[in-house]
Amino acid sequence: MALYTRRKAFNRMFLVLSVLAAVFGLIWLAFILGELCWRGLEGMSSRVFTEMTPAGDADGGLLNAIVGSVMMSSVAVVAGTPIGLLAGTYLAEYGRHGRLAFVVRFVNDILLSAPSIIVGLFVYEFVVVPTHGFSGWAGTVALGVIVIPVVVRTTENMLLLVPNGLREAAAALGAPRSSVIRAVTWRAARAGIVTGVLLAIARISGETAPLLFTALNNQFWSTDMSGWMPNLPMAIFQYANSAYDNLHRLAWAGALLITATVLSLSVAARLLERKRS
Amino acid sequence: MADIALTENLAAVADRAAVVRRFGMRDAGFRWLTRLAALLVVLVFAGVIWSLVMGAMPSIKHYGWSFVTTEAWNPVTEKFGALASIYGTLVTSFLAMLIAVPVGIGIAIFLTEICPRPLRRPIGIAIELLAGIPSIIYGIWGLFVFAPEFQQTVEPWLIDLLGNVPLVRALFEGPPYGTGIFTASFILSIMVLPFISAVTRDVFETVPPMLKEAAYGLGCTTWEVMWRVVLPFTRSGVVGGAMLALGRALGETMAVTFVIGNSHHIHTSLLSPGTSISATIANEFAEAVGDLYISSLIELGLILFAITFIVLASAQLMLRTLERRSGGAS
Amino acid sequence: MDAAVKDKVKVDIRDLSFYYGATKALKNITMPLHDRQVTAFIGPSGCGKSTLLRILNRIYELYPRQRAEGEVMLDGQNILSSGTDINLLRSRVGMVFQKPTPFPMTIYDNIAFGIKLYERMPRSELDGRIEDALQRAALWSEVKDKLKDSGLSLSGGQQQRLCIARTVATKPEVILLDEPCSALDPISTAKIEELIDELSEEYTIVIVTHNMQQASRTSDYTAFMYLGELVEYGTTEKIFTAPENKRTEQYITGRFG
Repeated sequence: MALYTRRKAFNRMFLVLSVLAAVFGLIWLAFILGELCWRGLEGMSSRVFTEMTPAGDADGGLLNAIVGSVMMSSVAVVAGTPIGLLAGTYLAEYGRHGRLAFVVRFVNDILLSAPSIIVGLFVYEFVVVPTHGFSGWAGTVALGVIVIPVVVRTTENMLLLVPNGLREAAAALGAPRSSVIRAVTWRAARAGIVTGVLLAIARISGETAPLLFTALNNQFWSTDMSGWMPNLPMAIFQYANSAYDNLHRLAWAGALLITATVLSLSVAARLLERKRS
Repeated sequence: MADIALTENLAAVADRAAVVRRFGMRDAGFRWLTRLAALLVVLVFAGVIWSLVMGAMPSIKHYGWSFVTTEAWNPVTEKFGALASIYGTLVTSFLAMLIAVPVGIGIAIFLTEICPRPLRRPIGIAIELLAGIPSIIYGIWGLFVFAPEFQQTVEPWLIDLLGNVPLVRALFEGPPYGTGIFTASFILSIMVLPFISAVTRDVFETVPPMLKEAAYGLGCTTWEVMWRVVLPFTRSGVVGGAMLALGRALGETMAVTFVIGNSHHIHTSLLSPGTSISATIANEFAEAVGDLYISSLIELGLILFAITFIVLASAQLMLRTLERRSGGAS
Repeated sequence: MDAAVKDKVKVDIRDLSFYYGATKALKNITMPLHDRQVTAFIGPSGCGKSTLLRILNRIYELYPRQRAEGEVMLDGQNILSSGTDINLLRSRVGMVFQKPTPFPMTIYDNIAFGIKLYERMPRSELDGRIEDALQRAALWSEVKDKLKDSGLSLSGGQQQRLCIARTVATKPEVILLDEPCSALDPISTAKIEELIDELSEEYTIVIVTHNMQQASRTSDYTAFMYLGELVEYGTTEKIFTAPENKRTEQYITGRFG
C-alpha cells in the first residue's frame, strides 16, 4: 500500500498546484481590473468627453484623442475587412489545397502573431518616408495591416464549417460558383464572420506600438488624416510617461475607456457566437 | 402534347444559355478578386521583409556582425550595438515563459479536470479576459501599481533573502528600482499565460474521451492520467501553443517598455534595468535623428522579426502536426 | 399515355465508367432512363448507385480527382462533353439530397433563389411561381402563412418537401432523388412517395434508395447494381417478380445486403 499512498500524495499535491495556478491567474486579473476601474474612474469626468488633450500641468479631456482613434479604426476596419473576407474566401472555397493557399495561410498566421511594432516600421518605410511625414493615413494603414490577418483567419475557419451539403444544394440548382458563395455560403457563415470583425476591432482598439511612428499624436483637435492624428493609445503613452499627476489621471481614464471598449466587443462577439449555435 | 412540351423546353433552354454566359464572366471576375486579395496578403508580408532589410541596410553595411556583439548604444557618438536589446528580449521572454507555461498548463488542467462544472465557464471566461486587456494597460499598471509596490516590499525581501546565497546572489543584487528585467518578465508572464491556458485547453479537448476513460478505468489518479496519457497525446499541440505564446512575448512592446528601465547595459542581476528590442524602438524611434540611428533601429526590428519568425514558424509546424494526427480540418 | 411516348428515352447512359483517383468505382454502365417515368437504382451499400446518380448532374465535379468516362445523352446531347455548360445542365437536371438542406433564408427566398438565377419577372409572377412550386411539393397549405419564416424553422419532412419545391421551381426536366426519405419519419416518407407519383407525370425521375419496398412501390423501372456494375435492369414488375440474374434474386429476397 505504500506505493498507493505515495501516488495519492502526488495526486493531491498536483491538484493543489493546479488550483493555485488558477487562483494566481484570477488574483492578478482582479488586481489589474480593480486598479484600472479605481484609478480610471477617479480620472473620469464629463470633461474627458468634452475637452481636448492638455499639455503640461493644465486640465483637459480626451475628446480629440477619442475621435481620432475612432476615425482611424473605422477606416482601417472598413478597408481591411473586405480584403480579409475575400482572401479568406479564396482559402476556403477556391484554393483549399493549392500551393498559393498554403503560402497564404502560412504568411497570414505569421502576420497574425507578428510584433505590431514591426508593422509600424513597415508602414514607416512605405508610407511615412515617401509622404515625408507622419499622418493619420499611415496610422490607418498600420491598423489595417493588423485587421486583415484576423479577418482572413476567422473567415476561413467559419467558411470551412459550412456543410458541403448546402453548397451542393445550391450548385444543383444551377447556381454558378460565385452565387453559391455569395448567396449561400457567406450567409450561412455570417455570424461567425461578424464575430471575427468584432474581434479585429477589439484588437486594434488597444494597439499602441503601430502608431508610435506612423500617426504619432496630436495635442489639438484635428480631423485631418494627412497630418499628425490625435489618438487614445498614444495619448495614454505620452501622459503616463509625463511627470504630471493630472496627466496620469487622464491616462488612467483613457485606459479605462479602451479596456471597456475592448471587453464589451469581446462580450458581443461571444454572445453572437452563442446565438449562432 | 409531347410536341408542345418539347418546343417550350427548347425556348427556355435558349434563354438560359444567355444567362449562363453572363455567369461565366461573373464567376471568373469573382474568382480573380479573391485571388488578388490572397496575393495582397503575401505582398504585405513580402513588403514587411523588404522594408526591414532596406531600412537596415545602411546600418548592416556600417557595422556588419559587430552590431550583434556590441553592448554600447550611444546616439551621440553614433555607436550602436544591439547586444543589450537582444539580451533583454531573450531574457524577459525566457523568464516570462518559465512562469507562464507551468501556470498556464496548470490552469488548463484545472479547468478541464478539477474545476466544478458550473464554475468552468465563468472562470474560463475570466482567464480569457486577461488576454483581452490591451498591452498598454499592462504597461501603465506595471509602472504605477506593480513597480512601486514591488520596490517597497518584495524586492528588498528578495535581496535580503538571496543576497548572500553564493551562486544565486548575482541574480538578485543591486538597489531596488522597482522596474527592471524581473518586473518586465513578470508582467509579460501574466500577459502571456491566458493565451497558453486557452490553447492548451483547446488541445486537451481533442483527446478522445475513451482514452481518458481507459486510463481512469485502470485506477489511475487524475495526475497520472494527465501526465501519462493526456500530455503525451497532446505534446505537439501544447509545445506549439507555448511557442506561439513565446512568439508574442518576444514582440511585446507596451507592457515591457514602461517597466524595463530603458538602460542599454547588461547586468547579471535580474533586478537591474535593461531594455528589449521593442522597448528600444518604441522609446527612441520617433525622435531618432540621423540615418545611421534610424537604420540601426530598423536593424533591431529586422533581428526581432527574424527571431519571432523562426519561433512562429516552428509553432505552426507543431500545431499542424497535431491537427493532422487528430483528423483535423478537411 | 400511349406506348410511343412511354418508351421515349430521356437520358441514355452508354458505357459509363467512373474513377475516384485511380479506383474504378463504376464499370461500363449502359442503361436508358425513360421520359416521365420513375427509375430506381437499388443495391447494397457501396454498390455505386449514388455515384451514378451524381454523374447525371455532374455534381461530382465540385471535388478533385473524380472523373467520368463514357457518354450520358440528355435529349441526344452528351452532357459529359467539355462543350456542355455545367450550370445550364444543372438547371435542367435538378437534385434532392439525402439530408434536407434548406438555405439560411426565408422559405420564400429559398424557392426564389433558383428562379431568380435564370429568369427575370415581376414580383407578382414570382409569387405565383413560388406558390405553384410549393403546391407541387404538397407544402403550400402548411407554409402559406409563414413564407417569411426561416427555412430552418420547418420540421424534417417539411424541409425535404421545401427542397423538392425549390428543385421543381426552376422547371427542370429531370429530377434526381438521392435517398430522399432516409432521414425522415414514416409519415413524411409516405407523403413524399405520393409526391413522387404526382411529379412523375411531368418530370423524369431517378431515385436512389436502399429501401427495396420503396423502390417497388414508387418506380416504373429498376436498376440493380452491385460493386460498381449494373447487374440487371428492367421494369420494376419484372425485377421484383421474375428477376433473370441470380444475384438480383438474392438481393430482392434479402439473402444479402
